Amino acid sequence: MTDPELELLPQTIIARGKERQAKYNFVKSVLLDIFFVFYSLVVVQRAIYYKFIINLRDIPFSWNSIFIILGISIIIGYAWTYSRTSLSAKLFCISKDNNVTKWTVEIFGWFLFNITFIAGWIVTRISIIDLFSSEGIRGAERIFSALFQPKMGIFDDALFAMIETIYIALLATLISIPLTLLLSFFTARNLMKENKVSFAVYYILRIILNFVRSIEPLIWAIIFSVWVGIGPFAGMIALLVHTIASNAKLYSEAIENIETGPVEAISATGANKIQVVWYAVVPQIILPFLSFTIYRWDINVRMATIIGLVGGGGIGTMLMQYQGLARWHEVGLLILMIAFVVWVMDYISARIREAIY
Amino acid sequence: MLLEIQNLHKIYNNGTHALKGVSFKVEEGEFLVIIGLSGSGKSTLLRCINRLIEPTSGRVKFLEKDITHIKGEELRKVKSQIGMVFQQFNLIKRRSVLTNVLTGKLGSLGVFESVFEKFSDNVMEEAYINLERVGIKEKADARADSLSGGQQQRVAIARSLMQNPKLLLADEPVASLDPATSNSVMQYFEKINKELGTTVICNLHFLSLVRRYASRVIALKDGEIIYEGMPGDIDEVWFKTIYGEDAEEVEIR
Repeated sequence: MTDPELELLPQTIIARGKERQAKYNFVKSVLLDIFFVFYSLVVVQRAIYYKFIINLRDIPFSWNSIFIILGISIIIGYAWTYSRTSLSAKLFCISKDNNVTKWTVEIFGWFLFNITFIAGWIVTRISIIDLFSSEGIRGAERIFSALFQPKMGIFDDALFAMIETIYIALLATLISIPLTLLLSFFTARNLMKENKVSFAVYYILRIILNFVRSIEPLIWAIIFSVWVGIGPFAGMIALLVHTIASNAKLYSEAIENIETGPVEAISATGANKIQVVWYAVVPQIILPFLSFTIYRWDINVRMATIIGLVGGGGIGTMLMQYQGLARWHEVGLLILMIAFVVWVMDYISARIREAIY
Repeated sequence: MLLEIQNLHKIYNNGTHALKGVSFKVEEGEFLVIIGLSGSGKSTLLRCINRLIEPTSGRVKFLEKDITHIKGEELRKVKSQIGMVFQQFNLIKRRSVLTNVLTGKLGSLGVFESVFEKFSDNVMEEAYINLERVGIKEKADARADSLSGGQQQRVAIARSLMQNPKLLLADEPVASLDPATSNSVMQYFEKINKELGTTVICNLHFLSLVRRYASRVIALKDGEIIYEGMPGDIDEVWFKTIYGEDAEEVEIR
């Protein structure tokens, strides 16, 4: 019996895949090398040379110089990867295994780290003088003495606002649970990698969630305070959106870390995808999910105080008002209340999480 | 012919060549034991049969049908006809013994019924019969992880029996059990093979167990079949070829 499939050597099948992989890795490492070279040239020229060595106030900017640097980086980056001794060639495992590679990787790695640190130092304008100037220290004394002598006059209002804050956080957490649960299954690599359609869904959802998560709740609060108007509702939605995005990641990581044995056993019985998830995955993830959610409630209480600053309601809004009036004694009271509630929440959530494990 | 393997290869992504052209046939009612060192490809072979692992090349025929590349519904149907028992038992730890046994029936249940755990009376009855078969009926309501190793493996056997399998695969079912328990678990496999006529393919380490239970033996070494024959025919020389020069036979009773 002649059968092309039986004749085909398994090694050929594997070798084909390997070749393709190596090509991809070469392209990736060329791009990364170009970036590394470009980055170091730009940093050295602009931050270290202009700002630090010749100390210009305004750094000249022209697209021409950028393009020249880019051109140089493309040539150097390509040549470097081509020689198989570059940092990225090492990262993507296509480098030659010799001393040249070892030295370039070590020296260039250190170089990148150092210029980044130096550039960071220059950009953040670190100044020891400002930190310890006598005028500055007097200002600090004034504000600290006011903060530590809180006025109890607004205690009723503050208490009410604090309760509002806690409820904002609680509701954002509760509503997030079903949505996050659903999303997390679609963003767990081990459940979605099998066919191309589901992997595409996984990939797109991951990108969207990363994007949503990368926008801080503070900014979401600004967006929603325009959308639904200033107040606790805007704050709650802002927290909800961010909670879903970040918990979906934690949940899906928990799904990715489950024991594979039960999954194997249940799929061996001929069960379909949903049945495998329900019987082999869900029982393993309930506890971590519960623990993440409680922890998130605790985080949300802290965040709810912050988003109040931009109109998300609760104690943050009140803090904003008194800070604007420079009434530091009232601000002191509010800060003490926030600190107390955050501490209590932290303690409670830690105890609950301990108890369920 | 129940099962026919032709020129089966498996190369893992990391380059390990686990199976190098394995071919053999299995008749209905056999108790086939596969022996070999750890890493010789025994587990890979079993997992290629019920397609928990995709073979790289070659062919698997089950009941005269090529199942090497089938997918979806068709694959699930084949899987539901092949039971499997694992070294680590692979039970759902937080659920009851009864639920664990019932999961063996998932292949023939709809999504709705299984998610809301609406098992019919017939299925329930079957679950109790299978629990009784492995002598563990009184533990039906206990949590699976509260049982001893031997008991957990018996639950796993009952789970696979729920599939009314044509073929039962056992991947080193007694490797994490003590010698006495090993023997009692193996007796259940023997009972299933004799009384229900289920074909069994079992990976084992201990030759004494092989001699006692196998009707035929295949030995794997580095992904290739180096011996095929009756358990009684494995002599000192064969033993050394399979397990290496330094090996010494250990008795297990």
